[in-house]
Amino acid sequence: MDSSVANPSVWGTQKVYKHHEQQNVAQTRPKYREGRRLKAVKVYTINLESRFLLVQGVPAIGVMTELVQLFALYGVIEEYRALDEYPAEQFTEVYLFQFQKLTSARVAKRHTDEKSFFGGQLHVCYAPEYETVEETRQKLQDRRRYVNRASQNTAKQHDRQLEESTESSSTDTQTAATPEIQKGSEKARIENVDSDDMGFPVLPLPSVENVSYGLHGFAQPLQLQWTTDIRLPTTEDKMGSLHNATPPVTETSKQCTSSASYKKERDLSERRKNLSPFLRFMPRTTHLESRKRKLEGQALFLNETAETETLIGPKLPELPKVDMEDHSLNVTANLIRQTMCKVTAVAEVKPVQGKTPTAKPRRRI
Amino acid sequence: MAGKSRFSASDRFEYLQGLVTEFQDTDSEDSKEQVLANLANFAYDPSNMEALRLLQVTELFLDMLTEENENFVEFGIGGLCNLSMERESRDQILQSGGVPLVISCLSSNRDETVLSAITTLMNLTTAASRAETTDSAVVQCMLRFSLTQNPRLRNLASVFLQDYCTQQQVDKAQEEMQGQSQSALGIPLPKD
Repeated sequence: MDSSVANPSVWGTQKVYKHHEQQNVAQTRPKYREGRRLKAVKVYTINLESRFLLVQGVPAIGVMTELVQLFALYGVIEEYRALDEYPAEQFTEVYLFQFQKLTSARVAKRHTDEKSFFGGQLHVCYAPEYETVEETRQKLQDRRRYVNRASQNTAKQHDRQLEESTESSSTDTQTAATPEIQKGSEKARIENVDSDDMGFPVLPLPSVENVSYGLHGFAQPLQLQWTTDIRLPTTEDKMGSLHNATPPVTETSKQCTSSASYKKERDLSERRKNLSPFLRFMPRTTHLESRKRKLEGQALFLNETAETETLIGPKLPELPKVDMEDHSLNVTANLIRQTMCKVTAVAEVKPVQGKTPTAKPRRRI
Repeated sequence: MAGKSRFSASDRFEYLQGLVTEFQDTDSEDSKEQVLANLANFAYDPSNMEALRLLQVTELFLDMLTEENENFVEFGIGGLCNLSMERESRDQILQSGGVPLVISCLSSNRDETVLSAITTLMNLTTAASRAETTDSAVVQCMLRFSLTQNPRLRNLASVFLQDYCTQQQVDKAQEEMQGQSQSALGIPLPKD
């Protein structure tokens, strides 16, 4: 089980486990299944993986800060320390890193294992023995949840590959898939989400913007904006693929998402008659910026009303509006238009003034 | 894992099928080990699970559990551990009568084999299979594991006892163990 060190009494509880050892790579693989890098014959399960990484082979030349900076590139590190009691080669040190998320640790390991670092070669491996019982439990639960969600996404993608992906068919598949995600008390959850929506969104979901809405979506107040975002079709595989990069989603957000999926199925049929088939993924920051721009001294803009269809009140003299089919471009175009209005309003005075002194003789017909 | 996203489902299927074929056809023990490890690692990625199910790889993994070669057992149970995370694959394993085979891995010499077996049993525990997966022999085994020095083993066994067994089951197992007057030190631990 443990290949113990020469004198166990000195090291006490510190054991060198077999999974810390670097195995020899397999030399005998046939070409069709040889990867880019030679790898050892080893099977990775969730048990082996961990948020804890053991880093061996760090040259003992006082580069701890640089080491931490390197690993911090891959995710948030909750804790790190030098393991003085761990048997190390001469002139090297051993460190333990605890990442906030397993996915970060996985990426970090992939990128740093076997890499040279200040003249030495790092050997990075998982160290699940440092987990607590609770952390182990959480790890397994997160993994199970992720797998089941991801395999549903894969199944849906297969469905989409089979059918022609029009909006209605994708709605259908989402409708078909969502019952799997839903549990009994989804109605109650939806009501919860509703009340949440009017207050604060539970999690910052990536907002998918319906482009053809143009101005309509954005003159609405902030809260409604969030609601709109949540209710618009969030393609499930974005959540699935996002999940690869982000931590496992918590229960509340899962409820929110699943309720949202159900909601969008209902809302789609009821309200969103004019959905364009073209959906774009709008990063949240773009929304924030656009909203900021909107709010910053846009008296004119706001007064131009929310609905393009039913304009109430005195219309300002307007230039023909071109829908640029893009939200941020629309906003920018509007800003430019207003500036132009202001400029032309001022400029009107000048030519009039300019004309009188240099009055041309009128032509009499 | 990220690189595989450029392959279509049918490409994936063909590649995996190729691996299974090689496994069945080759005589080289080395090759078999390599392919088995590949398949077990591919089973980690949810996008492969459907293909592996269609290829009956669960059967292949289960067959490995009774092999003499300890690597075969370790990789086989590792593959099952990965696959059983997913509901449909789990059901396929249950239908193939996999529980007794997985339980037999609990007495392996190998760390990883035992750990994979515990996790697989957790995954395989459903309302229908609970009686089998939390059999009193299993619970006793987990109790022993929960007392070892090995933290990974201890953690997994503790999670098993806490989350998958009732207090009644644990108490009963404890009584039975005391009846056998076995001390914690006398437990044969997995050796590598």
